Amino acid sequence: MGKKFSGFSRLLARFRGWIQAAATLLTNIHLPNFSKGTLYRGDAKTVCVPGLNCYSCPAATGACPIGSLQAVIGSSKFSFSYYIVGILILFGVLLGRFICGFLCPFGWFQELLHKIPVKKFSTRKLKPLTYLKYVILLVMVILLPALAVNDVGMGDPFFCKYLCPQGVLEGAIPLSIANSGIREALGDLFAWKFFVLVAVVILSMLFYRPFCKWLCPLGAIYALMNKVSLCQMKVDKHKCVSCGKCAKACKMDVDVTKTPNHTECIRCGMCIRACPTKAVGYRYGFGTGKDKAAADAPQKIQLTKEQEEQP
Amino acid sequence: MKKFLMTVLTLVLVCSLTLASTAWAEVDTTMTAEEAAAKYLELKDQENAILAENAALWEKVFLAMDKDKAMISVATGENYGKFLLDTIESAKDQFTEDELTLITGEAEKIQTIEDDVEALLAVYPNAKQDAIDGNTGTMSVPADASMVVSTDSSMEVSADAAGVTVTMDDTAEKFPAFEGMDLDGNAVNSSELFAANAVTVVNFWFTTCSPCVGELSELDAMNKELAEKGGALIGINAFTLDGDADAIAEAKAVLEKKGATYQNVYFASDSEAGLFTENIFAYPTTYVVDRNGNLVGDPIVGAITGENQAKALQELIDQALAADIAK
Amino acid sequence: MRLSHGKKIFFQCLLLYAGIVMICYGVWRGEAGTVLSKAIKICLECVGIG
Repeated sequence: MGKKFSGFSRLLARFRGWIQAAATLLTNIHLPNFSKGTLYRGDAKTVCVPGLNCYSCPAATGACPIGSLQAVIGSSKFSFSYYIVGILILFGVLLGRFICGFLCPFGWFQELLHKIPVKKFSTRKLKPLTYLKYVILLVMVILLPALAVNDVGMGDPFFCKYLCPQGVLEGAIPLSIANSGIREALGDLFAWKFFVLVAVVILSMLFYRPFCKWLCPLGAIYALMNKVSLCQMKVDKHKCVSCGKCAKACKMDVDVTKTPNHTECIRCGMCIRACPTKAVGYRYGFGTGKDKAAADAPQKIQLTKEQEEQP
Repeated sequence: MKKFLMTVLTLVLVCSLTLASTAWAEVDTTMTAEEAAAKYLELKDQENAILAENAALWEKVFLAMDKDKAMISVATGENYGKFLLDTIESAKDQFTEDELTLITGEAEKIQTIEDDVEALLAVYPNAKQDAIDGNTGTMSVPADASMVVSTDSSMEVSADAAGVTVTMDDTAEKFPAFEGMDLDGNAVNSSELFAANAVTVVNFWFTTCSPCVGELSELDAMNKELAEKGGALIGINAFTLDGDADAIAEAKAVLEKKGATYQNVYFASDSEAGLFTENIFAYPTTYVVDRNGNLVGDPIVGAITGENQAKALQELIDQALAADIAK
Repeated sequence: MRLSHGKKIFFQCLLLYAGIVMICYGVWRGEAGTVLSKAIKICLECVGIG
């Protein structure tokens, strides 16, 4: 890892907010539709966007991967979606949870809410809740739409219908403002989902990205793919002084020096910016990127630790 | 060796991705939606001009037109210019040689324009809708609305959609008139259909829409209930427009499974009623239509099994029935 | 679960290929149309109506 690459990593991490804004805009490019209360209906809607973004959002550019997955699984013709799973695997291998940190509109939304100055709480002790998202993925996105079918073999998109706050934020709210027919149709289900949205909004102010950590099924898929993703975190053991600042800076409760490709790491790069010796950076490529020098790294870490303790 | 393998693999991956992306992104983005809509209007204006120039000759062509064939032509989305040419060919003994050359040439021009329209709509599917909504900044009237050539009351043919008539007494909003077929292949005329019922409930649905399919049995029950009061309920499956055989078979299978026996109709997707259908974004949507073909109240969005929807629909039906009795 | 360098490359390539093959197979059997038809109409379940 040359000097250049660590510089690029820091740059990427520094401008993350702008990249998130640009990604959100690109994911929802048809802005005039907001005032018309209509959807974009072109062929681009066949393709999934990487982040969690409701396709019933008037401005949406493409399809929501989780919504599409449920739609295909729940349709009477199919009970599994090779198309969407294939897309998710590609996204996962090519980018992994980098998508959560940089490209997902709902992730950005939660982060913006977290900037509101109220008391913040750590999620470190709530780690078991991070497994909830895998349950949601398995049960609400895959099993229920496939198995809980009506007499013509159609299943409901359970996650979209009962849990997804993005559908309310991007779909129901703008559509019901622009369209009186939809406004009149809102019932108990909307009330429940609105409550979920409000809960996520409040939790986002208190905790960092609660939906990503605990609930998001898309995050769960990318989390599993993080292990094999081409987009990785890399700690240069020669430069690392084991000061622990990276782990402290991480709002996803990951220690990048121990588990650089942890399922919870969203590649946000806070550790990169926190590192005093520029030892942490992004790495993009096949394999683990083990260079020859890394083989004798453990010894050196010991050394630096001792050195640190001396004064 | 490993490195070489990796390079090859990556190259193949990149190639396949580029291929895939070019296949997906064939949309020409040089025109804005407004420009596309304006272009659409321009093409339709050209057609109108051609038809207006030799009105007497065209009248002859329209008279020679086989009404059933016109409907099939529209239902299959055939090029309207081609259809005109066929009609002229079948009635060529009614024209002098000069007339025939002239009118054939003009029909060929229309055929070319229709090809352009089709190509335009392939890239900008919303152009037609935008043109009709008036999102072009110009005030020209779309060809569909102005193109009704009326010869006698039983045979009205428009340039774009056979059988779509536009009435001018627009005090109330009309359900777009259509001539289509039901899923069993019987011809359906909207004015006759609406006139025969004190109230007609029109339910828009499509086959893979779970809330739509979920309410089919309730809709069937409502149809039976309405029949006692001199009303009826019809379904319009958005997938079956233009008479797509597979879509019709699938729709019929679902209807049968749900025990729904009421009439389901389809028409051409580029007819006025087809555009109306295209403009519906939320499914299911249910309209209430009175005996004169006027829409009653606002459409009901969402399944009528919902509490709000059931109440709103019943109110509209009662309103239409009361108005019908008052007359 | 730490993957060795070679194994990781193997899995990455395998998954990339699996992904592409699955997309092609899914498109071939008509899943893309299902996605499009769902995505261009308001999903009433998604927005909390249906």
